[in-house]
Amino acid sequence: MPGVFDRLNKEIENKQKEGGITPLDLVELSPTLRKIMKLMLRELQMTYPRLREVMDAMPEAERLTPNSLDEALASLTEQFWLIRIGEKEKAIYKVNLKRKSGSTLANGIWSSLDQKLKK
Amino acid sequence: MSKGKIVSIHSFRGGTGKSNTTANLAAQVALTGKRVGVVDTDIQSPGIHVLFGLDETKMGKTLNDFLHDKASIREVGFQVGENTGDAEGRAKLAGKNLWLFPSSIRGREISQILKEGIDFNRLNEGLQSTITEFDLDYLFIDTHPGLNEETLLSIATSDILIIILRPDNQDIQGTSVTVDIARSLDVPNLLLMVNKALPKYDFQTIKNDIESKFNAPVAGILPLSFDLADNASQDLFSLKYPDHAWSTALRGVASAILALE
Repeated sequence: MPGVFDRLNKEIENKQKEGGITPLDLVELSPTLRKIMKLMLRELQMTYPRLREVMDAMPEAERLTPNSLDEALASLTEQFWLIRIGEKEKAIYKVNLKRKSGSTLANGIWSSLDQKLKK
Repeated sequence: MSKGKIVSIHSFRGGTGKSNTTANLAAQVALTGKRVGVVDTDIQSPGIHVLFGLDETKMGKTLNDFLHDKASIREVGFQVGENTGDAEGRAKLAGKNLWLFPSSIRGREISQILKEGIDFNRLNEGLQSTITEFDLDYLFIDTHPGLNEETLLSIATSDILIIILRPDNQDIQGTSVTVDIARSLDVPNLLLMVNKALPKYDFQTIKNDIESKFNAPVAGILPLSFDLADNASQDLFSLKYPDHAWSTALRGVASAILALE
């Protein structure tokens, strides 16, 4: 019988299929959003209280106010660049990168190559 | 925050000596007692495994297996210090904490990646997990030359980015692009490394010119070396010939990385 962890993971996996940010999009982000995304890329997933803790520990010039953090998280979640599981203080955020698409070459080319490589 | 630092090694063009430099830098840092990982994210044209003495017969699980959920990142890590073989240079790594996370060199697996694309959530999870699972101090990422999405991802998550260029106008123009991207991605530490500089040039002049052009520090100028070419990636050159000018300059770059702690 699946536990809470398995169910949460399943929920995250389903949401991940709905979109995601590309590495190129990161270049175009505002400094505030990029700061959060870069942190999330390193940490993979964080609880909301942990995010607040990390922000509070940053040098004053780099720190986001709780309001700016909440606004940034809402914006990133809305675009499915972050996935949120749970609400408010209990929320867990996870980064969502868009899959790199495969080659657009005709399928026949790949099956032919596959056959050759099998030999 | 994870304690390990990510060091991405990049060059805009191929043939700059990126893999050779990455392998030797990682080895030099491991020799100081640090726990070091090397990931080959050049999935389309992997090569760094050769410098660590791996070939198709010895290669176990790869990054490709991890990306396809056929292996854990722990299974992919190849303990270089326990498998140094009989190469004179690599033998100095015996007992050191250095792991290689190779990409597959099987044609079918490379073509599978090209055909199906890459799950970047999984790739990023793999990169970050190497640090936590192996308690790494440094993770070196050997990237694909030029700019592709895997490279941008590794640059975006780097603490230190080293851009390798030759003193050649094509390289210099390409490096401008990478430097711009790195600055747009707020990479905390950007270092340049010049490789294959003709010994007849004045290295201090090259250093001054490049630093002034890119407004970034040059961590080392490594000479063009026939001895290095003669080594033919059979061994880690800076370990086999520690007194060679190329090795001395490379150790300077390793020191620059360690100084950024």
